[in-house]
Amino acid sequence: MKIVKLPKNKTNDFIEHLQSFGEVHAPQKKGKKSCAFQPVTDPSKVLIGEEGFLRTILPLKKYFHKPVDTLLKFSPKTGFEDAYEEEGNKVIFGVHSCDIHAILSLDRVFSGKYVDTYYFRRRKKVAIIGISCVPDDLCYCQSMGTSFVEEGFDLFLSDVGDGYLVKVGTSLGDDMVSSAGDMMTGYGDSDINEYKRRINEFPSLFKTKVDEADLPAILDMEYKSEIWEEMGNRCFNCGICSMVCPTCFCFDVNDEVCLDGETGERKRCWDSCLFKSHAMVAGGHNFRESRADRFKHRFLHKHQAFMGDFGRPSCVGCGRCTQDCPADIHFVGMVKRIKDDITCVHSGEEEK
Amino acid sequence: MPKPKVGIFSLTCCEGCQLEILNCEDELLDILGAIDLVSFGMAQSNNLDIDLDIAFVEGTVVQRSEVAILKKIRDRSKLLVAIGACATNGGVAAIDYDKDREELKRIVYGEAGDFIPSITPAALHEHVKVDFALQGCPIEKHQFINAIGYLLHGDLPLLPEYPVCTECKRKENECVLVQHNIPCMGPITSAGCDARCPSHYLGCDGCFGPVDEANVAMEYSIMKEKGMADDEISRMMQVFAAKSPIIKGQFKGD
Amino acid sequence: MIDFARKSLLDNPYLPQQCRIVASTPQTDDTMLFRVRLEDDRLAESFSHMPGQFVQVTVMGSGECPISIASSPTRHGFIDLCIRKAGRVTDAFHNLGQNALFGLRGPYGNGYPVEVMEGNSLLIVAGGIGMAPLRSLLWYALDHRSRFKDVILMYGARDQEDFLFKGELLSLQGRDDVKTLLVVEKDPDNSWEGDVGFVTELFDDVDLDPETTYAAICGPPVMYKNVIDKLLDCGFSKGRILMSLERKMKCGIGKCMHCSVGFKYTCIDGPIFTYWDAINMREII
Repeated sequence: MKIVKLPKNKTNDFIEHLQSFGEVHAPQKKGKKSCAFQPVTDPSKVLIGEEGFLRTILPLKKYFHKPVDTLLKFSPKTGFEDAYEEEGNKVIFGVHSCDIHAILSLDRVFSGKYVDTYYFRRRKKVAIIGISCVPDDLCYCQSMGTSFVEEGFDLFLSDVGDGYLVKVGTSLGDDMVSSAGDMMTGYGDSDINEYKRRINEFPSLFKTKVDEADLPAILDMEYKSEIWEEMGNRCFNCGICSMVCPTCFCFDVNDEVCLDGETGERKRCWDSCLFKSHAMVAGGHNFRESRADRFKHRFLHKHQAFMGDFGRPSCVGCGRCTQDCPADIHFVGMVKRIKDDITCVHSGEEEK
Repeated sequence: MPKPKVGIFSLTCCEGCQLEILNCEDELLDILGAIDLVSFGMAQSNNLDIDLDIAFVEGTVVQRSEVAILKKIRDRSKLLVAIGACATNGGVAAIDYDKDREELKRIVYGEAGDFIPSITPAALHEHVKVDFALQGCPIEKHQFINAIGYLLHGDLPLLPEYPVCTECKRKENECVLVQHNIPCMGPITSAGCDARCPSHYLGCDGCFGPVDEANVAMEYSIMKEKGMADDEISRMMQVFAAKSPIIKGQFKGD
Repeated sequence: MIDFARKSLLDNPYLPQQCRIVASTPQTDDTMLFRVRLEDDRLAESFSHMPGQFVQVTVMGSGECPISIASSPTRHGFIDLCIRKAGRVTDAFHNLGQNALFGLRGPYGNGYPVEVMEGNSLLIVAGGIGMAPLRSLLWYALDHRSRFKDVILMYGARDQEDFLFKGELLSLQGRDDVKTLLVVEKDPDNSWEGDVGFVTELFDDVDLDPETTYAAICGPPVMYKNVIDKLLDCGFSKGRILMSLERKMKCGIGKCMHCSVGFKYTCIDGPIFTYWDAINMREII
């Protein structure tokens, strides 16, 4: 892998340089206390984590799987038309390892036998530039195996104090680096030492740890646990955890009709399996009737069902769900309770 | 196909929902092109008392005469649509803090209260069959326009069945409740407003009414954690939804 | 890493094709059999499916919903859809009228594993509207009669008014290469010539070899339980019992998650599951 060094005093120049590869988006202040991936007009406004951990409100999925997306336009005269509007190239700068893993997970979901054209038409227009980070109290990517990333980026910047070691992941990334001229330098022994020191120190920085080993089987045994009822009573089914989750991808599809009563648009929007209507079929039967059923379904999909599909849990340990839950549900705490606590969680009845 | 005959009516309220319809300035001509608006008290005279395809009714039923008016509208309309918090959940007129009607009249009007001929305020569905409802105080323009489109197409409108939080996060808003400790009814309130208040750092007032299966008990305990007193929370929840069975009865005996 | 740049982005899987209603035959007071044909002749002729698969049907402006294909792939050029009025889209579909255009995409789902079933006997057990997807399998077997040993149909409906494909199924009773057992649960005016009772009672009239028979079941949840009990009593292995399951589906292609059960998607892993699959999937029935 090609590796070069970007001195920190050249970071803003490099971000400016990236504009020639597409509209650069990076974490910037959003609201009073938060940050979000937004278009960059002034590189000095870009937050790169020097002042603490940055957890964007929404993850990267908003670029490919839009919160609300018009799929089709329809009219009785012309039938159905693809409503996708071509977008320009984008470069997303400052993506953490967990969020890159999440995109790799969504890539799998939206490909397969049927390819989601809306997702991939946007996906191929976006370059991803990752950056190393220091975990905060809610991060547990280390436990989910997503704290390092070996693919899914065009460039990945690892902090080595006075600069970044830049891993070049793709040919496009190489173009970005090669055309940056003397912004990039070589790296020396001290950079390698600092890189290794940080890598070795990294696991010890995590305050939140959880062991997922054998969790799918334990979740099966705890299928009738009282914990689901307890969580069902707590959960608002408000959908926040699904919206902010970098790997939640559920969507609902509905037709909207114009004032002429016949033409219109078919739209899809982010949905959540926590909503009552999610598994309700025509005629009113609901396969997941209670809040507890739905809470369990979401949790099991993250930590059990996705394993069956793709060989790993879909949770990447970004901490967004726990940070944003208005009912103070601590999702890592849940895993711990189910996995470790042999006294407080138990099945309601004997399994046959 | 003849254009559907539509009437827009008002019971006791601020008439803000009618105003919101008038505010559809860019779409008003298209709306008038699509429907035959035979009755719209706020905007036109010469309103006709004829049979209607669709009646939109705002306001709370607070007088006996309004019961009769409402029943007449119902009788001559194929579809009756309740619009706004008053018509759907009673609105501010129905706030009673579980006090007796006579007592309330005296608290507000003194001895003159004995002569006020009001009855227990009611949402429309308590007196007549309501085919569906557009929520909000006032209603949202885009929901009204969408509703007309759906109705012309022959379907009932589709409305969100999830809480405000979902719309709020789709807009990538910072959470006023979690991040700023501002009391917010978003988690238990029907979406549809595109998170209007939280987008401006105001807690959701719940004007769209409680969402189906709202976890009111949890909202209550979260609000308490944010430092609100019991009666404050109870009042907050009743402002727009006093007649909602989901809210009503939660606070008896406070 | 997934090489998404190479994935074909030319075919939009969400784009319905224009399709036309060419005939409709009332079945019950809320159920109609529609014969439809894709407008594009090339697509109409090349459309092929497996028994048990479904299509996503769009009524423009009302939305989209899954409908199982009720015709056999052995009959070309048209698709039969047996549609009960059960919600927004199906209600609107009934209002479309003769010759109307609507949207169609698919076929989707796994369908019955006919290549595995061939060479065996086939037992079809249907209740109510559950006959619709099984009609496709039934005619597939009858049109490829030599590929199956015995073919047995058991169909039960609540009453005569609820009985689907009545003329067609009654006429099968005249054939000696298919054993056709039809019942109604209620017959208040004694006008039904066949048996009255439950579909489970028909098991007394047949001799089944569980080693060489596949049973395909579709019907209301309560029927599944009773029929499966009967089949297990007969000695059927769980893998030889095939069920067709209903779930909410929005996309039909394994993306939207509405039909997920455990780590299976009803739309792409199903809707046909063996009983063994089913008992290993929570909340399936």
